[in-house]
Amino acid sequence: MNETDELQTTSPTAADGTTVTQHKRPWLHSRRFRRQIMPWLFIAPITLLHLVVVVGPSVVGMYYSLTEWSGIGKAEFVGLDNFRELFFEDRNFLLALRHNLMWLAFFLTVPFVMALAVATLLAQVRVGSMTIRTAFFIPYVLPSVVVASIWRMLLDPRLGFGAALEDWGIKGLAYPYLGDKNTALAAIAFVDNWHWWGFLMILFLTAMQSIPSDLYDAAKIDGANRWQEFLHVTLPGIRPTVFFMLMMTAIWSFLVFDYVWILTHGGPAGSSEMLATYLYKQAFQRFEAGYGAAIGITMSAIAGIMATIFVFFRRRGWDV
Amino acid sequence: MHTTLKRLIPLLLVLGLLVSACAPVAGPQSGEGEPGKVQITFWQGTSESADCIIDVAVNSFNEQSDTIEVVAEKKANMMDAVRPALAAGAGPDIVPTHGPSFVAEFALADQLMPLDDLADQFGWEEMFVPWALNLGRVQGTLYSLPQELETMVLFYNRTVFEENGWEPPTTMDELEALSAQIQEAGIIPFAGGAADAIDNNEFFFTEFVNKIAGPEKVYQALKGEISWTDPDFVTAIETLNRMFQAGYWMGSPENFLVTDFSIARAAFATGEAAMTMEGTWIYDSLVGEMFTEDSEHGNDWDWVPMPSLTGDPMFNIGTGSTQSINRNSEHPEAAAEFLTHYNSAEIQSRLLVECQYATAPIRLDPAQLEGVEPRMAHLLSEFAKASDEGNYGYTTWSFFPPKTNQVIYEEIEKVWVGDMTPEEYMAAVDEAFQEELAAGETLVIPDR
Amino acid sequence: MFKRKGKSNLILNYVILLLLVCLALGPILVLFFNSLKSFNDLGTNPIGLPRVVQIENYVNAWVQGEFATTLTNSLIYVVFTVAGVLVLGGMAAYSLARLDPPGDNLYLVYMLTLSTIPFWLYVIPLFIMWRSLGLLDTRAGLIIMYIAFNSPFAIFLLRSFLMSLSRDFEDAARVDGANEWQVMTRVVIPIMWPAFLTVGLVVGLGVWSEFQAALIFLQRDELMPVTTSYYNFTQRFGRDWSLTSAGAVMMIAPVLMLFLALQRQFVTGLTQGGIKL
Repeated sequence: MNETDELQTTSPTAADGTTVTQHKRPWLHSRRFRRQIMPWLFIAPITLLHLVVVVGPSVVGMYYSLTEWSGIGKAEFVGLDNFRELFFEDRNFLLALRHNLMWLAFFLTVPFVMALAVATLLAQVRVGSMTIRTAFFIPYVLPSVVVASIWRMLLDPRLGFGAALEDWGIKGLAYPYLGDKNTALAAIAFVDNWHWWGFLMILFLTAMQSIPSDLYDAAKIDGANRWQEFLHVTLPGIRPTVFFMLMMTAIWSFLVFDYVWILTHGGPAGSSEMLATYLYKQAFQRFEAGYGAAIGITMSAIAGIMATIFVFFRRRGWDV
Repeated sequence: MHTTLKRLIPLLLVLGLLVSACAPVAGPQSGEGEPGKVQITFWQGTSESADCIIDVAVNSFNEQSDTIEVVAEKKANMMDAVRPALAAGAGPDIVPTHGPSFVAEFALADQLMPLDDLADQFGWEEMFVPWALNLGRVQGTLYSLPQELETMVLFYNRTVFEENGWEPPTTMDELEALSAQIQEAGIIPFAGGAADAIDNNEFFFTEFVNKIAGPEKVYQALKGEISWTDPDFVTAIETLNRMFQAGYWMGSPENFLVTDFSIARAAFATGEAAMTMEGTWIYDSLVGEMFTEDSEHGNDWDWVPMPSLTGDPMFNIGTGSTQSINRNSEHPEAAAEFLTHYNSAEIQSRLLVECQYATAPIRLDPAQLEGVEPRMAHLLSEFAKASDEGNYGYTTWSFFPPKTNQVIYEEIEKVWVGDMTPEEYMAAVDEAFQEELAAGETLVIPDR
Repeated sequence: MFKRKGKSNLILNYVILLLLVCLALGPILVLFFNSLKSFNDLGTNPIGLPRVVQIENYVNAWVQGEFATTLTNSLIYVVFTVAGVLVLGGMAAYSLARLDPPGDNLYLVYMLTLSTIPFWLYVIPLFIMWRSLGLLDTRAGLIIMYIAFNSPFAIFLLRSFLMSLSRDFEDAARVDGANEWQVMTRVVIPIMWPAFLTVGLVVGLGVWSEFQAALIFLQRDELMPVTTSYYNFTQRFGRDWSLTSAGAVMMIAPVLMLFLALQRQFVTGLTQGGIKL
């Protein structure tokens, strides 16, 4: 960032815009305008759109989180009652929160380990590399409704892969994974990850390929084995990408809705209930839109904290 | 490679512009109607019978009316879309809901037109069966008309029963014994599943509680005279759970919880499962896809009343949906005129015969059931006879207040997976019910 | 780039990679097979090859799902959303990467926070506003929403791509007296195509799969996107998996073809930028 300042101050037009005297609108070239106002003019249109579509209605939603409101008609102001009920009385909410944290733990580890490992394997092969890469990427481009229903079919104990394996003599895998309270959440995470990890892998792979090869040569001269190479060259080289995706994962994992909704609706017996599905149920099925808004605010707050932690780390110099 | 892109992206843009510029001209506009006619919007879901319903009920009306045109819109998520639409003061003239408890919510939020005057004007009191019409009252005022008269029975795969020499049961004990026998023969006793719609778990409470504890007790509890923690209710849930844990539904509770309708119905039709506890609403599927003339399985079906503790046949009554008039409708009288046409005996019998769609709870002449599949006609006449004699129980979705019903169908899964005992479950039901009773949010229960 | 010595231990690499390729593509193949089966065949033979190929499934799904209408609609939504995101998001990204607006760090936090707000929190107020603005049940209304939903990620990606590019060309243009607008349109945009493509694909995919907002904010059938065609199949009371699968194949086919055609450029977009804060 500092580099930019130097560049701009040394740039002749920025240093003294008014020298272009024949120009009709000299203020366009004033230093203050160029440095402080104009950049924001570029940002303004999309920001305005955000403010209208997301921020404005969300502020209204924040107000509703302080009310008892059915979603239509009048809202009655109740202060922080909804939040008190959420945190101190609502076991289903706390359960959903726990599921979201488990989800977070899963998605911060499993896809990252898979993506890193496979990217490393793939970086070494030449023949068929592009085809394999494409194959891994394809699940990512499928719409969530399609992915979820393919896997609902495949995970079905009577129609799915378990039943097919049974026909071939491999017993014991035909199990209602989505119907057992102990496996439902894991099964949904598996499906979401099936669609997700390939994308992550491509990101890591491309980041790896931009690491200068002389760093590897240097490591080799120093007698590093593969693991040390990975640890001291590859990982630092792709750190910004990993870091960014960790952050986005942390934020997104609190919003997960699609897969859970299509696969289990949060069941069985609430064993895969997430904050977002719980919010939806409260606001749209139970006529508790005020309470639902309180859940939404809580979700944003948690994700906001996550984002802040990452931004804090970044300022501490974790990023390049 | 950049040049490919440069060529491709403008091409896509132009294509998009062209398409979007043409579309409004090509597509029909629901905003503009025939000149001189008042427009009424009517929403219909996207079930298989939707086109038939629109043809029979809406087109017939438009043909005969010189002053009103009803515009039918098919909506996939009709019930989800109603809420924000009403909240924004929009939505169709005819407002559909899932049932009386939804009506109460909309009515209390002042989104629906009171219908008492229109009911007098169009003679709705005479058209509808009284108990059903009364379900549309919220704090004394009529807000909705009942649709889709429903009951549940025990359907059984007659071919499978005959092959194995089984007799359809009449008492709960027989049912349980038969289930064990069926399971021993390597057949699933009951097809079922609510993976795609958890609210269908309400079937189990409805049938077991009414049939085991008896409708009298349910009536008393609905009136607030006795508690839902009464031992008879707990026994009903215990019986249900015992049968569930035995794996009578789809083999295990886990299997049941992951099964959706299509799979359950296919399992019943193919004879993989011998019985299913289902409602009159499966009529169109039953004759249209489960047991058709060219079905490969070659099976046939029949029904008996769902067994009760004593063996006396009894039916639980309910309605499947409702119709109301939007508070913001500009032409409530025109909407009412359409509703009168829609709910007339002529149209309703055509809906049943031609679309296999359940009739509204109106007074129908038996002659108007001509053309209905004989077993289904028999079911409907038995059901009508029993409920005329006052021998009926209560479906949760029509007679229980909304939050109680929610607890009923959501928490029951916790019993099935072992997170809750039947006692705890009934205590949770009672807690929700007492809260709604105190708030005056219970529904109008007809006297027995 | 990685440099490796022998090929001796690459066999293990290939074995692992091929197993994972099966995991990635197998389910899609099953979907394709199922789309060709009859209702009964699927019930008894859910995974294997179809015994009889029933191509009518596609015809039925096409007609019943009104795919002709919904595919066209989705195309419109994708094209306009992507265009809007690239133009508006690109401008913002350019400014953030190059013009150093005062308070840009704060703006990044704002964008992050923005992407944490669940749709269900603000859908009702948004719906009420959309109605009063006359945007309800219009294509424009939905497209505006989609642009807003998709722009945070796009801005991040474009910004980091830009930051990885050298500024020499831009500075040269400035020396020649070009203003910032000219620098952006004449110098930066032409070298940004790979990044635009990548963002376009990610955003386009998001719009192609979206159905929640569409189902709520659209009322007229003739405006519905392709996801609703598919969604309708899955919501049916008696779900027909073969019909559903045929619908799914028709829904993913255009996406797959576009992706396969453009994947090299797509990967370039990712390679050059990487993504980072």
